[in-house]
Amino acid sequence: MQKRVAICAVAQIKNDPNLWYARFQNMLLECFEGIMSQTNVTFDMEKGIRTVITCSDDVWDARTISNNGMTDVVGAHFRGEEKMAQESLNGLGYAMASILSGHDDVVLFMGHMKESQPESRNMCTNLAFDPFYCRPLGMDFVNVNAMQARAYMEKAKITEEHLAKVVVRARKNASKNPFARENDPVSEEDVMKSPLLADPLRQLHYYPSTDWAFGMLLCSEERAKEFTDKPVWITGYASCMDSYFLGDKDLTSNFSLKNATERALKKAGIKDIKKDIQLFELCDHAAYQLPMWAEGIGLVNDGYGGRWVDDGGMDEFNVNVSGGMLNGNPLLLGGAARAIECFYQLRGEAGERQVKGAKRALAQSTYGAAGQHQAVVIFEV
Amino acid sequence: MALDYDRKDCFIVEGKLALPYSYFAGRVGSTFITTLRDKKKIMGVKCPVCNKVYLPPRQTCERDLTDIRDNWVEVQPAGEVVNFTVVRYDDKHLPRKAPFVMALIKLDGADTPIVHILDGIAPEEVKIGMKVEAVFSSSPTNTILDIAHFAPKKPEKAFVSERTPAGAKGEEPVISQEEKLLKERRKAMSKKVIITAALAGAATMKNQNPSVPYTPQEFAEEAYKCYKAGAAMVHVHAREDNGMPTHDHKRIKDTHDAIKEKCPDIIVNLSSAVGMGKTPEQRISQIVYVKPEMASLNTNTMNFSIIDRKTGKIFIDFVFENTFTMLQDFGKAMEENGVKPEVEVYDLGGLDNWFLIAKQGFFTKPYNFNFVWGVAGGMAFRPDMFMVLKNALPEDSNFTTCGVGIEQFPAVTMSCLVGGHMRVGLEDNIRIPTGELAKGSWEQVEWAVRIAESLGREPATPDEAREIMGLRKR
Repeated sequence: MQKRVAICAVAQIKNDPNLWYARFQNMLLECFEGIMSQTNVTFDMEKGIRTVITCSDDVWDARTISNNGMTDVVGAHFRGEEKMAQESLNGLGYAMASILSGHDDVVLFMGHMKESQPESRNMCTNLAFDPFYCRPLGMDFVNVNAMQARAYMEKAKITEEHLAKVVVRARKNASKNPFARENDPVSEEDVMKSPLLADPLRQLHYYPSTDWAFGMLLCSEERAKEFTDKPVWITGYASCMDSYFLGDKDLTSNFSLKNATERALKKAGIKDIKKDIQLFELCDHAAYQLPMWAEGIGLVNDGYGGRWVDDGGMDEFNVNVSGGMLNGNPLLLGGAARAIECFYQLRGEAGERQVKGAKRALAQSTYGAAGQHQAVVIFEV
Repeated sequence: MALDYDRKDCFIVEGKLALPYSYFAGRVGSTFITTLRDKKKIMGVKCPVCNKVYLPPRQTCERDLTDIRDNWVEVQPAGEVVNFTVVRYDDKHLPRKAPFVMALIKLDGADTPIVHILDGIAPEEVKIGMKVEAVFSSSPTNTILDIAHFAPKKPEKAFVSERTPAGAKGEEPVISQEEKLLKERRKAMSKKVIITAALAGAATMKNQNPSVPYTPQEFAEEAYKCYKAGAAMVHVHAREDNGMPTHDHKRIKDTHDAIKEKCPDIIVNLSSAVGMGKTPEQRISQIVYVKPEMASLNTNTMNFSIIDRKTGKIFIDFVFENTFTMLQDFGKAMEENGVKPEVEVYDLGGLDNWFLIAKQGFFTKPYNFNFVWGVAGGMAFRPDMFMVLKNALPEDSNFTTCGVGIEQFPAVTMSCLVGGHMRVGLEDNIRIPTGELAKGSWEQVEWAVRIAESLGREPATPDEAREIMGLRKR
């Protein structure tokens, strides 16, 4: 059996629409202290944390080298510090790789994002597009995702009713999650009547602007017992990048997600996800993405997402019991939020929303427009 | 669970990230952009191994890693919509005010669709599979916006003038970019006719014709109907609710914006005359404030009165002041703010006044003139005088015309006949040629369309009108 990496502890603050009165340093410090108190890990250069990985983004933080704003509060001074300016699940993969490679055996992984800081989220994501062919057209994640939504809804026979169901369920599930963003409950009718953002996406189909921070302590299999009695193991990780230009790819093919899933499952030695995995956390930036990513990881056949929602697939397979990204996590951190839910569930610490007997879980995340970059992690207890 | 922090005396730092930069487009990108800009050609690259034609072009085929950088192929400036969204939010990074259509368009000859803006169609009418064509920018932007946008493809008609001479396929004669643009513009001018609807003016009231708009909403409805009937532009004097012409910035902007909201495509041409008794400051500051695509620019101080046409009795005597200084200051303010002047010519002297001020060199080509007939204080419509004015115009000019009362339709017919454009609307005349009250300016637009059709000319779309008159779309 191949080597495993342990997650020993996680810490987070509550997802919030606007933490204007807290600096991201404050937010991280809360998480940092949570990790310290759970694990008693030290910063001893022989036995403690020598490597810190942080996840943040320059544009959103309005400063370059965004990690420089908080390396002191996460204990990263006078030791190794690396920044992942990409989806946090890729950061988790990076932390895992540092340990599996033998480069280090204890890694502190922290991340933050305040979507409330910039005047407009869409202006930020517009900058993700190249300055010549795409940016002047005003492309951003919302309007580009809208085109993917149109194509996928057509292919998988997704209706307004399906999307409404996904949104209502996300908010309902999140209401049982004490760390979830507090949103007003909505009815299916509210969703179907909510204003169009970019056809066919409606306001309530899109995840709301959110501020959040988290921390995790990872270590090698050998050392896990020093920090916890209940480690959660990472047994598989893979990511895949699809073509950059929107017109280069089939927007509904799930190419990169299928590729990442296949490789992550192979690493984890899993043959049948429906049988072997009891919990799925998917990064649904918009409602249509929940059934679409479910197709991508192989929970449902291609093009059957609509019927799957009708048939209760989301509940049958315990998909996004946390409320999902759709209820509100900041961009970049949706993956970490998924991983943290898997952690609680596998440890049996998910309270009201506990999935009984969950032994394996899958977390997925995406970054870029229209699911360009995908990452998948398999957890096990 | 939420962070329980003290919120007293918290100071929020307001900042802004703004960094001018330059960016090398790459060798492949350089060829693409300069060819697009200078030759109005859209170039892709073809992979000789998998035969895929990539747009935007690139150096290497990502499927088989073949070096494709020199394998240029021209793709057609037309293709079909394969996916689209209607952007319904406004934001600073967006190139249009909402709602606008962003589409994935597969050009004929390319395998990979590109994203671009689709204009010239109501969002609810966009369909996947519809044929669209590129509308090239009239001035270079050095970005992908050198294709200004895409628009629905017009049905192809065989115009004799457009047939390729037999055996003429060979090297095209070398002409400069400017010459080519000019040629294209002249070609467009020769068949497209811009119909403008002057919706209200300053003096026509609801008791004369109930369709005269006063409120922003009424202006928007009336403009939309005119657009549907074939108008590319509306000329606007904003009104108060009681019908009085106004120089109030907010009211004028509300009126302008209401029209653009209801009918994003149409060109709004604002009056810089506004109404009787307005000061020069009141007349020009609203133009600078609203920045419409076009505005009227008056050329001479003249009587502008209301006289009984049958008896000669004077009802209102008014001197419409347009000094050389005003012609200069208003003209400069418009050019500096990207507002194209529509030069109002009430007689030959007015045109000569314009020529004098134009010596200063600030007017940009093409120039756009409106011959106004039948104002009490100006000249009555006479076909021979029309030809004198037309023949006196400088090069690179467009002209339209309008006439007060019964001179309206004879004047616009003559203009259409001799290659000019047409302005109708309740500002100039409350009736249709049968003598009945017009149901709205739009009914006069319908008449103008019929005149154009009978003379073998097609109404220009707003974008074609922009191309002809050299306007910058807002």
